[in-house]
Amino acid sequence: MAMRSQIYEWDASRSGHGGQPISGTNTLNTARPYSVFIGGVGNNITKPAETTATQFVVIEDIGCSPTDLDTATVDGLAANGVRAYIQVRINTTDYFLDPDNIGNDGIPGTASPYPRTIAFQPSFNLYPDVYVLPGQTWDALYTHYEGATATTASTHQAFVKYTLYDGPDALIANKLLEMGISVNPGNVDWYKRTLISGASATV
Amino acid sequence: MAMRSQVYEWANLASGTGTSNIRRTAGSSPVAMTSGREYDIFIGGFGNNITKPAETTATQFVVIEDISASPHNGSAVQVRINTTDYFQNPDVTKQDGIPGLASPYPVGSPSIIGGGDTVLSSFNLYPDVYVLPGQTWGVLYSCQTDVAVGASGSTVVQAFVKYTLYDGPDALIANKLLELGVTVNPNNVDWYKRTLIEQASAPANGGEA
Repeated sequence: MAMRSQIYEWDASRSGHGGQPISGTNTLNTARPYSVFIGGVGNNITKPAETTATQFVVIEDIGCSPTDLDTATVDGLAANGVRAYIQVRINTTDYFLDPDNIGNDGIPGTASPYPRTIAFQPSFNLYPDVYVLPGQTWDALYTHYEGATATTASTHQAFVKYTLYDGPDALIANKLLEMGISVNPGNVDWYKRTLISGASATV
Repeated sequence: MAMRSQVYEWANLASGTGTSNIRRTAGSSPVAMTSGREYDIFIGGFGNNITKPAETTATQFVVIEDISASPHNGSAVQVRINTTDYFQNPDVTKQDGIPGLASPYPVGSPSIIGGGDTVLSSFNLYPDVYVLPGQTWGVLYSCQTDVAVGASGSTVVQAFVKYTLYDGPDALIANKLLELGVTVNPNNVDWYKRTLIEQASAPANGGEA
């Protein structure tokens, strides 16, 4: 399976490799980024997300818990949501920057909500996609500014949608990148067809 | 990373005794906003701000693709490039810019505080707004009714900008596309790169034949 659509869902109220609910609470401090993969809160995986020499990852969408600041006047913001943000980090570089070129918290959950509802619709589309080249380590960092530090309910959630290109398709993805062509399944298939047409023409 | 999708979210939220903070902070509260006044969401001194005005270097090119604001309180957002406001009245006089009712943030929020309606977007920023290398740009928030804070409850207003930052060689290509009259977007930058590669490889192929 050379091209696979993948997702990762993180929930601070879960724990363990399988994301099974826990009976206690998980502590999640405000104004601090947490890796959704290995941050030690919620469901995690066993090691940082990284691509091997024969893998290529294209991150196509990210989202996290939205905040509702418009349905009522507020005395304490915590009642209205968690003011959550999600950032993508490649090796040690943050992808999203403020206009003064300093890394920020990333995409607001309000702009790219997960889950989406009638009241929370996206204002943001991750285009162009984010490429993780072979041999790179990548991460999604969740930060929130309001809400309880200990959570048992699904108030802190994040979501990443990406496509994993493996083996020959990862080589083709690299080739497309060199050629300045967007890496997506359609273009990988187009490149394969071009190779096949070239080979059959030679025969 | 030569082309990057970026966002900036502003809210009238600040912690401590002042009316603004650099970056976001926990434990924030709404700050009052006066109607009929423009607030720069980057360096206006209200809500979350950044350290300096948004500006492009000689090797950067910015394409603003979407702007929006809270639909309540008569909120509106204007784009300013250097000293020129982008949105104008038909008689070329000054206006507040795009109303939050036309381009709401978040999409689906009510038109009045506590309202039961769901405001969707009536506006699409097309063509996009270009910020050329060396230019300074800002986004100005304004409201038609005061944004109140107090014991009876405080109102939060927000603004949102989505833009793509082209850096290094891709900024040069963006400039070239602009000269050619071709829309600057990631697809067209990639198309121009392919054209360059084809032109470079054509003589080599000819030599081999």
